[in-house]
Amino acid sequence: MRRYLVGAMIPVAFLIGWEASTRTGLLTLESLSRPSDILMAGYAALRDGSLLLATMQTCETALLGLAIAAIAGIVIGAVLGLSSTAERIIGPTIEALRPIPAIAFMPLALMMFGFGVGLEASIVAYACVWPILIVTIAAVRAVEGRLLDVAAVLELPVWKKMAKIVLPAAFARINVGLRIAAAISLVVAVTVEIVLNPRGLGYRLILAEQSLEIGLMWAQLVWLCLLGYVLNLLLSRLGRGSTPVWRPL
Amino acid sequence: MRRLFNPMNLAALGFALLLLMAWQLLADAHLISPIFFPSPLRSLAVLQHRLADGSLWLPLAATGLRMTIGWLLASAIGVVLGAAIGSSRFARDLLDPTLEFIRPLPASAVIPVAILFLGLSNAMSVTVIAFGAIWPVLLASVHGFSSVPPELANVSQVLGFGRADFLRKVAFPSALPDIVAGLRVSLAIALILAVVTEMQSSLPGLGWDIFSAQRFYRSADLYAGLVILALLGFAANHLILLLEWRVLRWRNLRT
Amino acid sequence: MQPLRKDLAAARPIGAEVPALSIRNLAVRFGARAILDAIDLDVREGEFLCIVGSSGSGKTTLLRVLAGLASLAEGKVLFEGAEISGPSRDRAIIFQDYSKALLPWRTVRGNVALSLEARNVPAKEQDAIIDALLAKMGLSPSRTQFPGQLSGGMQQRVQIARCLAQDPKLLLMDEPFGALDAMTRQTLQDEILQLAAEKQITTIFITHDLEEAIYLGDRVVVLGRSPATVVESVEIELPRPRNQLTTREDGRFLAYRHRLFELLAHECGPQSLQRGGQG
Repeated sequence: MRRYLVGAMIPVAFLIGWEASTRTGLLTLESLSRPSDILMAGYAALRDGSLLLATMQTCETALLGLAIAAIAGIVIGAVLGLSSTAERIIGPTIEALRPIPAIAFMPLALMMFGFGVGLEASIVAYACVWPILIVTIAAVRAVEGRLLDVAAVLELPVWKKMAKIVLPAAFARINVGLRIAAAISLVVAVTVEIVLNPRGLGYRLILAEQSLEIGLMWAQLVWLCLLGYVLNLLLSRLGRGSTPVWRPL
Repeated sequence: MRRLFNPMNLAALGFALLLLMAWQLLADAHLISPIFFPSPLRSLAVLQHRLADGSLWLPLAATGLRMTIGWLLASAIGVVLGAAIGSSRFARDLLDPTLEFIRPLPASAVIPVAILFLGLSNAMSVTVIAFGAIWPVLLASVHGFSSVPPELANVSQVLGFGRADFLRKVAFPSALPDIVAGLRVSLAIALILAVVTEMQSSLPGLGWDIFSAQRFYRSADLYAGLVILALLGFAANHLILLLEWRVLRWRNLRT
Repeated sequence: MQPLRKDLAAARPIGAEVPALSIRNLAVRFGARAILDAIDLDVREGEFLCIVGSSGSGKTTLLRVLAGLASLAEGKVLFEGAEISGPSRDRAIIFQDYSKALLPWRTVRGNVALSLEARNVPAKEQDAIIDALLAKMGLSPSRTQFPGQLSGGMQQRVQIARCLAQDPKLLLMDEPFGALDAMTRQTLQDEILQLAAEKQITTIFITHDLEEAIYLGDRVVVLGRSPATVVESVEIELPRPRNQLTTREDGRFLAYRHRLFELLAHECGPQSLQRGGQG
């Protein structure tokens, strides 16, 4: 109980101080607005559906990019994980590409896809593929050798070996990579929207700033915080509950 | 030297060259649009040209500088806050909920706010960079400072060290491996945010360079910018690795 | 069979000697659970006291209380006549897990220097003191090495050197040789005996190894099962200096061993459940 009280001290003091200073004229309203105005702006945006629409747009693009990254990352990762020769040959090229931030490719993606979902999803996919790829390679490498022997004795073709033995065994670890990528996907999606793409929460944020609807801007920021917080909560819950019924021996 | 030229490395090099060659051939045969994918040779030529006439050095320096300053700011605040939270239960209870709430916010979302307060300036860029880059350092510092072995804390108590001496002589060096790991990730984030803020605000730098190259469909310049950006990231990462190696020498000297 | 308890205060020769350490009616609790109960113990100046007991009997807790790192629920501890309140450089403690008690980022020299820095010894004088200590502990060749590069025995020596650099009046050792191999253990036992004889520091040595306790100590105290009390105190009248071969073959050594083994077996056995239903 005491912990909650102490933890609430800063936010409560902050909000009260903010509201008080704007009302007594200590701070001007221009860039700051008031907590009460922000609350009202946020409520209005929720009511007229604009906030929810933007959230859906951002989330669906992020999800699309994440899905593409997951498929590409897992497939390539599994191949590189199983064949050390492939990894030694292709690896360095991948390592050379890795340091380039995904958002640096935004102009290129813009040239190729124009504005819209494609632009955003492609950047999200590029950003998310790295953690998934790395984790998958490590996870596949860590698959118990004897399981692979079983696959060889059963003379399983490559794709069956993947589906029935390798991937299930590597599942728990790959899951971790997916969760990391999921968190990244939201951040990257919002970033692309802020800089470039006229769609989704990031775009709404910049719009509010440019049209000087300060209360709305802050409200959207708070909404983003909440969204991210909920996402992280969901992901960590998934993480805890994702130990499958079977356990590694 | 022999290690460098072993068959595997040569094969890897060969693979990369193969990709480049295929790209070149496709470009020559006009199978891919020269607008989006200028041939590697042309990109290389542009890169060389721009390096020679110095038009790449200024953006490189600008981005590098912003990234470094923002990162240093984030690191200083991150370590100090991390020390406070990691070693004091009260500080942790006080700051944790607030930080947990702000943390999920994408750093780029702070850009509109920063623009409102600071305009399209270097200060805006550095502030956003610091805001985003602080988290890995902060989390790593908290972890490092809160995992000081209790025996070491006891030794410090028995020897009669006050809080300041304890932090300086025991807690900080103990937390350093974690902190340095956090610094590495922070630097990567600082680079990303430097580029993003430049794209957003047309501040001179690699981000803006790449952005305006796209505007005028000068794709070769775009690729040149990307290559330099990759090199910057690579160099920055290696500098930290060097720092890590020097500062954490004692970890590498196991029997 | 009733556990034996001797009136320890009366067992001491009543003289003008003020004991270096005086423990009166000490009780330590962790929440509702009693760890130590009604501990009465006097330690003479310069005495080498060994404490044995079953695992979990609170030996480490007792040591931590003496070091000032744990608080007591009842009773008091007097060191040199004054009640202790918190840790002090005068009472040095050597931990069993040496790897966690040394600063891995400092060299051997740096680790020992830590104590001198705490004592505000000027930098110019530090080197001489450190070099002398390292030579005594056989650590001179490892002066510029890091703990991570040393074997377990060497690391423990570094810890001992650092504690000696504190210039302590009481040495508390918590199963210091428990994690080492038999050969190293024996070597260090003799080294510790040499140091104790030379410096005449009051030493309290915890071990679960009965033979080690008899070999090292002037006296062995047996701690019972939780909540632990002092079950018995056995004076060890074996000649000094001790010798790994001759002392351990001495008839009296075997007799002490027999006695202590019996006591411990009794304490650890099912009969100990009778005592107040605890344990």
